[in-house]
Amino acid sequence: MALLLEIVTPEKKVYCETVDSVVLPTSSGQIDVLPGHIPLMTLLEAGELMVTRNGTTDALAVDRGFAQVQGDKISVLTEAAINIQEIDAGAAEDARRRAEEALAQAEARKEDPEILEELETKARFAIVQQLAKERKR
Amino acid sequence: MANLRDIQRRIKSVKNTGKITRAMQLVAASKMKKAQDQAVASRPYAQLMAEIVSGLFRHLSVEELAAVQSPIFEKREVKKRGILLLSTDKGLCGSLNANLFRALAEIDREKAAFVTVGRKATQFVSRSRRNLLADFSVSDHVLFSELRPVVDFLLNAYYEGEIDTIEVLYTQFINNLKQEAVLINLVPMIGLDDLIQAIIGVQDYTEKAPIENDEREIRFEPSAKEILDAIIPLFISREIYHKVLEAKASEHSARMVAMKTATDNAGELCDSLTLKFNKARQAAITQEIQEISAASAS
Repeated sequence: MALLLEIVTPEKKVYCETVDSVVLPTSSGQIDVLPGHIPLMTLLEAGELMVTRNGTTDALAVDRGFAQVQGDKISVLTEAAINIQEIDAGAAEDARRRAEEALAQAEARKEDPEILEELETKARFAIVQQLAKERKR
Repeated sequence: MANLRDIQRRIKSVKNTGKITRAMQLVAASKMKKAQDQAVASRPYAQLMAEIVSGLFRHLSVEELAAVQSPIFEKREVKKRGILLLSTDKGLCGSLNANLFRALAEIDREKAAFVTVGRKATQFVSRSRRNLLADFSVSDHVLFSELRPVVDFLLNAYYEGEIDTIEVLYTQFINNLKQEAVLINLVPMIGLDDLIQAIIGVQDYTEKAPIENDEREIRFEPSAKEILDAIIPLFISREIYHKVLEAKASEHSARMVAMKTATDNAGELCDSLTLKFNKARQAAITQEIQEISAASAS
């Protein structure tokens, strides 16, 4: 028995593999999903998604989104996702600073709410990446 | 010989036109690649979103939906259909826009109001004196945020009762040679099955996890209402964005193909004109020789 995990972002399908268990960062706390879990639909918070496969645990940083557990298939729909090993701590820090600066500027200029939202997403995702990376070390 | 010079001038002009269409073909080809990649890459997202939404609807009873009390799920009498028309800004893309407008002509004009994206659509709707609510334009490399005003406008018009449905008429990209004008219903979200099937049914080129059947009662965390509130606006705007990407991919493919045909035709025309030119030249020389020999013989 194994789980099938797929993670999809607007740009591409990030992840599609069979795994042993998954920890989802939902809005009401972390949920550990093992094979045979009851069908579930949930909101995801920005955070760390842990994947266990053959005894090793991988972590992915994900942004807000939705997750659906149906049978033994977990579908994660999110705005952004990245494997923690691929995170460059320096780049994430820079990205966060840039996004926060842009956000502050945009707020001062009273920008379009949509642009603000986009910048917030960027800043949030950068923070999540940083946190996840630090925890890993 | 005036005739010779005429042919020569035509050859020159055909060659020049060929060069222009060739340049346009190359530009369209590079844009096409990008637009197609973008459209195809965003398909899995649209499909998974559609799956989740359809999952939600399958597991919610009518009472639960009614409890949400959102006009998006209310079926009301359709007096005015709201149609979002996605066309190109520029012409020279074969029959793409013509096909789109043929599909549009089938819609009862008294019962529809239009919102257009793209100059060609704006022109067509206003020239045929249909009811144009608003027109928007987007850049060639569309960003999600560019469509925000479009989606907001449509939803506001819907909430205020100005229009009673939100439908999208666009060109679905199938392959380089085939694009189809398609009309989909987006709002109100009743009888979504057709829409979901249409979205999921589109073939995509990425690996796909099989849809699992699970008859057990589904759990919603934190609650179905909260998930609905979060996903529905996102679904509508993402869906419209995705359609714009498909329309862009279609546009550039159609233009590429049209320009390629034009270049090929220019080449053929040039060949046949050259043949004609050579024949005329040959005839002129022969005639001159004949005249000279006739003159020397006498």
